[in-house]
Amino acid sequence: MKALTWHGKEDVRVEDVPRPSLVNPSDAIIEVTATAICGSDLHLYHDRVPSMQKGDILGHEPMGEVVEVGSDVETLEIGDRVVVPFTISCGACWFCEEELYSLCDNSNPNAELARSMMGHSPAGLYGYSHMMGGYAGSQAEYLRVPYADVGPITIESDLPDEQVLLLSDVFPTGYMAAENADIEADDTVAVWGCGAVGQFAIQSAHMLGAERVIAIDRFDERLDMAREHGDAETINYEETDVYDRLMEMTGGRGPDRCIDAVGTDAHGTGVVAASDRVKQRLKLEDDRPYVLREAIKCCRKGGTLSVPGAYVGRVDNLPFGAVMNKGLTIETGQTHVQRYLEPLLDRIEAGDIDPSFVLTHEAPLEDGPEMYRTFNDKTDGCVKTILRP
Amino acid sequence: MATQDTTRDRQPGSAQQPDRAESDDGRGRLRRAITLLIGGVLVVRGLRRRSVRGLVMALTGGAVLGRALGVSPSRSDSGSAAPTVAGESTEVTRSITIGEPAQDLYEAWRDPETMSKIMGHFADVQPQGEDRLQWTVQGPRGWDASWETRIVDEQPGESIVWRSPADAMVPNEGEVQFSDAPGDRGTEVTLTISFDPPGGSVGSAAARRLDLVPEAIAGKALSRFKSLVESGEIPSLDENPSARGSGDLV
Ligand SMILES: NC(=O)c1ccc[n+]([C@@H]2O[C@H](COP(=O)([O-])OP(=O)(O)OC[C@H]3O[C@@H](n4cnc5c(N)ncnc54)[C@H](O)[C@@H]3O)[C@@H](O)[C@H]2O)c1
Ligand SMILES: [Zn+2]
Ligand SMILES: [Zn+2]
Repeated sequence: MKALTWHGKEDVRVEDVPRPSLVNPSDAIIEVTATAICGSDLHLYHDRVPSMQKGDILGHEPMGEVVEVGSDVETLEIGDRVVVPFTISCGACWFCEEELYSLCDNSNPNAELARSMMGHSPAGLYGYSHMMGGYAGSQAEYLRVPYADVGPITIESDLPDEQVLLLSDVFPTGYMAAENADIEADDTVAVWGCGAVGQFAIQSAHMLGAERVIAIDRFDERLDMAREHGDAETINYEETDVYDRLMEMTGGRGPDRCIDAVGTDAHGTGVVAASDRVKQRLKLEDDRPYVLREAIKCCRKGGTLSVPGAYVGRVDNLPFGAVMNKGLTIETGQTHVQRYLEPLLDRIEAGDIDPSFVLTHEAPLEDGPEMYRTFNDKTDGCVKTILRP
Repeated sequence: MATQDTTRDRQPGSAQQPDRAESDDGRGRLRRAITLLIGGVLVVRGLRRRSVRGLVMALTGGAVLGRALGVSPSRSDSGSAAPTVAGESTEVTRSITIGEPAQDLYEAWRDPETMSKIMGHFADVQPQGEDRLQWTVQGPRGWDASWETRIVDEQPGESIVWRSPADAMVPNEGEVQFSDAPGDRGTEVTLTISFDPPGGSVGSAAARRLDLVPEAIAGKALSRFKSLVESGEIPSLDENPSARGSGDLV
């Protein structure tokens, strides 16, 4: 089958690879009909995530048709149209029972590797390095889905792919980010990053009762999207100092809730940014935490910092003194996608939200390498791309 | 995963094998050869898999080999898992919490089929009657190491202790204990494995320092046991596709 494979920094290829097969009794195989490219894939594209191997299949935001089911699968049948969450979860461990699906104890075959790096192993993910499970990704014609009764949600209605595909990751991720921010009535929420995750965090902040949402980015089309679809006020961080502007907009209090929807590949300017880049090259630092630093500085005392943005390893120069003395709460994590599938599908079906507003590009799988470049460079107004295998 | 790792000196007097010769040069050499063999197995398997895990395995094997060959003097980089070589033996102890009652876990562990599944990453394990298992580790170029273990003590629902005969190719012993975890969290399962227990002939530093192998075995075996009993299967990358081909690792 055809698949998009990783070969190092900014090197994504279309290659012929073996077709996956059923391995465990709870597996299913789906024929992928649509799969998106994510900001998380860009961290791989920048070669920032350890334990990738040349030839790994990328991708973790799929939907498709069930073509094979293992002997233990009860809820899926051949022919079902499903959206598959990027978190692989057994459904049986203590974490899954607590609905902390991205912390599943059993789904990472390389748990020992993750444990050696992080102390404990989180859930396995599709196409996201060997430390995070080593599972082949979804930017391919077929995908093996372990624990098929726990992850995939069957789409019974005739909603188009574009409206349901993003249940696999970014819609739930934006929603969980807003939930984690503990938003209360009258709150002002600031969202750094107006990619798909930021856009859904903005929408969800309103759903959860925020009074005002302020969105921060530097790309006009993304800021426009945040204003038009997300009813947000916006700050272009290349034109204004973010701290000064936020204090001006909030009477010096600072936003009550701050959401970092940017993560490790944050773009920074000035002396500190240059020094971070050097340290990163010398492997003295793993992450570039500009947004994390800025959000800590801006957040209201006693406020909440919610971090859906992905980080990889060590963070340097984090003003933890400010976190402590300002009494901030930090909430973060890979999304517990399974928890949100049904409630958010209900909202889509009820017409409360149409997630397809973030989709700007669609292309055949073969154009994947070019679409990675476009998305990475943020050219052509690209916010989110669907690939069609 | 709720695991915890300690490598410590053996308690004096525990699980002794007094019948083994104290210093038998021939056997010391044999054991050194087996140390090399197991190191070699890990290198070969790891390289064959060409996966990251394989790489780790190869490195681990390489470290075992290196130390057996005396080329890697320092272990100071391996943190808390560094063994203290006191007296004659090192052992590794790892714990994991499993969401099932102790009695069920005890019974599952007692089933030879379970052993064969959870140790599959390391050895082929075959039942040899009631209380015995035959372990075979396949090496490169058709070499293999094989030994038998026998259950020497057990408290149903609480613990199982097994041991190889004194003259086994790879003298070793193990113990698994089951105790209640707080609240609704199930059972804390603690596995201790030691190779070349005290009282055995320890001809070379190499044999004494076979610790990395039990470390790798214990951690992975516990994870696999937990996955098997909690979810009914062991997560697997068999036939996992990539541009490298099909299948990544155990
Ligand atoms: N927690 C999870 O489970 C989860 C799931 C999906 C994605 N993510 C992470 O969320 C993050 C965003 O994903 P995305 O798909 O929206 O990516 P994206 O690349 O489309 O968006 C990132 C945005 O951040 C902006 N940005 C960069 N530097 C900035 C700065 N200093 N200040 C303000 N904005 C800045 C960029 O201009 C861009 O618009 C990534 O880190 C991704 O890995 C996490
Ligand atoms: Zn994603
Ligand atoms: Zn689980």
